[in-house]
Amino acid sequence: MKKVVDVSIPLGPVHPCWKEPARVKCETRGEKVLAAEVELGYMKKGIERIMKGRPWQEVLFLAERVCGICSVIHNMVFIEGMEAVSGIAVPDRAAYLRVIVNELDRIQSHLLANFSFCYTIEHETLAMYLLNTRERAMDCLERITGARVNKAFMIPGGVRFDLRDNDRAALLTDLDWIQNEVDRYTRMFDTGPLIATRTKGVGILTQEQARIARAVGPTARASGIAEDVRLAHPTYRKLNFAPLVRMEGDNHARIMLRFGEIFQSIGLIHRCLSDLPEGPIRGGGTCGAGETVSRGEAPRGELSYFILSDEYGRIVDIAIRTPSIMNIDACTHFMLPGVTSLADVTSVFVSADPCIACNER
Amino acid sequence: MGIYQEKDLRMLKYHILVSPRHDHAVRDVAGILGMGVQPLRRLLIERLDMQYLENLAGRYDQWVEHGDRKDPLDRALGRELFTRYLPLVDSSGMDLILAEARASVEAGIPASEAATRARARLAEVLRP
Amino acid sequence: MNLLQDAKNWVRARSIHVAYVDVGSCNGCDIEVLACLAPRYDIEQYGILVHNNPREADILLVVGAMTPQWIDKLPALWAKIPAPKAAIAIGNCPISGCVYNRRETYILGPVSKYIPIAAEVPGCPPRPTEILSAVLSVAPTVFRDYEVKRP
Ligand code: SF4
Repeated sequence: MKKVVDVSIPLGPVHPCWKEPARVKCETRGEKVLAAEVELGYMKKGIERIMKGRPWQEVLFLAERVCGICSVIHNMVFIEGMEAVSGIAVPDRAAYLRVIVNELDRIQSHLLANFSFCYTIEHETLAMYLLNTRERAMDCLERITGARVNKAFMIPGGVRFDLRDNDRAALLTDLDWIQNEVDRYTRMFDTGPLIATRTKGVGILTQEQARIARAVGPTARASGIAEDVRLAHPTYRKLNFAPLVRMEGDNHARIMLRFGEIFQSIGLIHRCLSDLPEGPIRGGGTCGAGETVSRGEAPRGELSYFILSDEYGRIVDIAIRTPSIMNIDACTHFMLPGVTSLADVTSVFVSADPCIACNER
Repeated sequence: MGIYQEKDLRMLKYHILVSPRHDHAVRDVAGILGMGVQPLRRLLIERLDMQYLENLAGRYDQWVEHGDRKDPLDRALGRELFTRYLPLVDSSGMDLILAEARASVEAGIPASEAATRARARLAEVLRP
Repeated sequence: MNLLQDAKNWVRARSIHVAYVDVGSCNGCDIEVLACLAPRYDIEQYGILVHNNPREADILLVVGAMTPQWIDKLPALWAKIPAPKAAIAIGNCPISGCVYNRRETYILGPVSKYIPIAAEVPGCPPRPTEILSAVLSVAPTVFRDYEVKRP
């Protein structure tokens, strides 16, 4: 009988397929992965510790820099928390503009996630198409907020800039263009026979496992858990938002769900634009003392901030729970064991859309 | 050059465990086990990898909400908590302790007393 | 300098392999480096190939604020890159630590303490076009007279 040796194969920290450094050690027998272990610490900057004792004006900028891909939602959740503790009301128009920017951010983040997946399974054509489409979404964001990545668009009591008429027209054209393009790529992805062999039935996360690791966002929704924090958000409720769910729980389901959410976001932006109320975009108010837990749906799932502030609006204590923490856990401890080929390890890892910067803060 | 990538991660793991949410979770788990906080931290650092530690608070909250809903004794001992949510002991060892506790309840010892004893056993098993 | 050396230098400056390493960023700069790959900026038309293999790289893009895990690994990575080589710091993080360089932080910047940095592109984050032009302007100066300088 052939002797099979158990080997521990480390991947990373610098790996051609991964955007960020992490080290995954896979225990393998033959090609089959038996267990995986993650080694982190490459991105630990201690943001929560830096934030403590600083005024909200500084924490606003630090919060954005927890994650550069989904900076809008960090901004939004922190500001909504500060508004909740100090009782500041937001004008209607500003609330709608926040949703527009947040959904644009989701579009670009999902496009980037699907780009990395296609790049990882070496489908470079599709990957480049998706990356190019993302640039259009970035243009929209830049036109509205004035910056590409760290925007600091939302402030307590409103937003910084109004939507000008020519920006609105450009946004509508760009959204149509993105919708057309993504529609094409979705069909390419869904029907490609080679893609199917790399995605269908690979990296399965069952619903029960997803619950144990507390998976959130597209990773959980692709495993049949219909949870979305946007359901509890007042502005989204006005827009009749309902989450998309898929039952398969494999790579294919996760990527297709993200494509689906891109269309959903485009629909939400259209609805926002059509009922965008007139009025001011900035109210007034001072940030004060209080304690709250503020939640929001980041592109990757539920993001929550625990905020404790004093009467001058300084942050006394803060704790951030980012979606990647749960999703990477679900990915490495449930999806990776059982993967039948080492070549799939990278693609399974990327399919959960891991963001190490969020994960370690 | 040597194996320069294998590094002592204990300090980094400790940094993860002392952030506010994780600290609460660790304190609660220590309460369940009747263990000191610092020995429990050491145990967690030795047995779990960094991603488990990052998600410690998430998994613990999930257990509080959904885990061990059926049996009060399971709940008191955290059967699923220590075997599935935070895999520190294997399920056979856990079942052994639980079976003992059940037997002593049947023998007439009050449930709370039995649970306390079983916890002490569990803490014993966990201690390195 | 003879003709062969000339030709070698000329070719080197026109086929640049780029690797990037993230030493603790917020992902913002990371993503802007990736965006350079997009057909809009089309980094490959300048003869730049981005891949993440340090052993084949000519230019290392350093992103991020230097976390403790990297202090031994970044010099080791730098040693693996064959000469001629140059490192470019992308964003404020490797230059000064950006917002992370405060009390209570874990970072141990700046990156230039650990490896030689040939150029710096400030910005939080810099635009993809700026990253592109930095790579393009550093490459010729590093590789122009390498064959003559070579020990
Ligand atoms: S320079 Fe700014 S955008 Fe770039 S990694 Fe640092 S904080 Fe992020």
